[in-house]
Amino acid sequence: MTELIENLDTVQETDVTLNVNGQTWQGSIPVEETLLDCLRRRVALTGTKRGCESEVCGACTVLVDGVPISSCSYLAFEADGKQVLTVEGLATGEELHPLQAAFARNGAAQCGYCTPGQLMAAYALLQAHADPTYEQMGHFLDGNVCRCGCYPSIATAIREAAAALRTTR
Amino acid sequence: MLRPFKVIHPGTAPDAVGELVRLGDQAKVYAGGAELILLMRHGILQADCLVDVKRIPELHGIQAHNGTIHIGAGVTHREIENDPLVRERLPALADAEGHIGNVRVRAQGTLGGNLCFADPHADPPTALLAYGADVQVWGRTGERAIPIDKFLVGTYETALEPEDIVTRIDVPVLPDGWRASFQRIERFQRPTVNTAVAARVQDGHIAGVRLVAGCVGPRATRLTELENRIQGQALADVSRTLAQSDAYLTEMLDPVDDLLGSASYKIHVTRVLLQRALGEACGIPNGAHA
Repeated sequence: MTELIENLDTVQETDVTLNVNGQTWQGSIPVEETLLDCLRRRVALTGTKRGCESEVCGACTVLVDGVPISSCSYLAFEADGKQVLTVEGLATGEELHPLQAAFARNGAAQCGYCTPGQLMAAYALLQAHADPTYEQMGHFLDGNVCRCGCYPSIATAIREAAAALRTTR
Repeated sequence: MLRPFKVIHPGTAPDAVGELVRLGDQAKVYAGGAELILLMRHGILQADCLVDVKRIPELHGIQAHNGTIHIGAGVTHREIENDPLVRERLPALADAEGHIGNVRVRAQGTLGGNLCFADPHADPPTALLAYGADVQVWGRTGERAIPIDKFLVGTYETALEPEDIVTRIDVPVLPDGWRASFQRIERFQRPTVNTAVAARVQDGHIAGVRLVAGCVGPRATRLTELENRIQGQALADVSRTLAQSDAYLTEMLDPVDDLLGSASYKIHVTRVLLQRALGEACGIPNGAHA
């Protein structure tokens, strides 16, 4: 039975070149490795969180070529040659991104575990809608669960960040 | 951590079918991975090899041909919900696609993958039944079309052979004068009940109608007998007919009590969502309510 697939006992590794937050990362990874594990263990960026591992909670949200995905269920080899943006890529040096600043100012986090995912989903939202309605916020963020229940503050923070970004553009 | 597996990347539909024949039940088709990776992680499904169909060019793109919209099986829900052609010509499908899971699931999951997975709690089959779509399939004997009503069989069950792959979904645009509507209610990012209706109104009467209910039974279902009762009725009488349809809906949809609600609750919601969808499709403000 194992003859059909060559070398079943060996791991199928594949060479990938990722652009993570503007920096190139090259390496060989097993095909079954998720982008979440690759980012946390190999690229050593632990801002992206492991949550439900079922594409429901949004804690592991990162952007691949500008599109939000669940990195827990996205095979890392699929990101080969693509731009990956994680929460570590939002700030410019010591200067927080307007979304991060607005989240901090509004207390849009209590335990903070979901916050990296909330920020990445909000970032994708603002790329699509510079002045988002609450309905548009829901469309992008209803898959980002906050068990502390910070949703009103998150919504306020996003509105403030959107306004700040519109004036600087 | 996922149990190790291999991935192969056939470049054409016949090559993919050839690999599935060669590998047999060791292999699974990998389209978007939104459902497959989940099931593999939770140990519900195991595969030694994934046959990645994403790199097959003919599984991509959305095009119009003679009043039919051809949607590649590998097109993501996100691409479909945002596609100008789908939004304009197939608005109820765009609506259904825009409600799937969450923004990340829509970015990863594909229409073909969703149909092949055949989760009873899915949105696209309900809309596709109202449009009368065909599913294009490559298999051992070449290409064939399966009407969506034949394609959907049961819970996690389709009319596909193990070595078949879906290449395209052909969705006819509704004839002039017809309008469609998709409605749903949800819990936990999945639909509890959804409905889709296509209808044409002439001189205040129903001149044509298709009614579909999803998520209650093992698969989305056309409600032809109820369609026949409504056909030709004055709009003012339709709500009464729908209000008396619970026994028929229960017989057709075979509802069960579960965490999403009791059987009687699901039938009630199905009827309300049929009324809303019919109301929108017929241009009646506030829906076709009794």
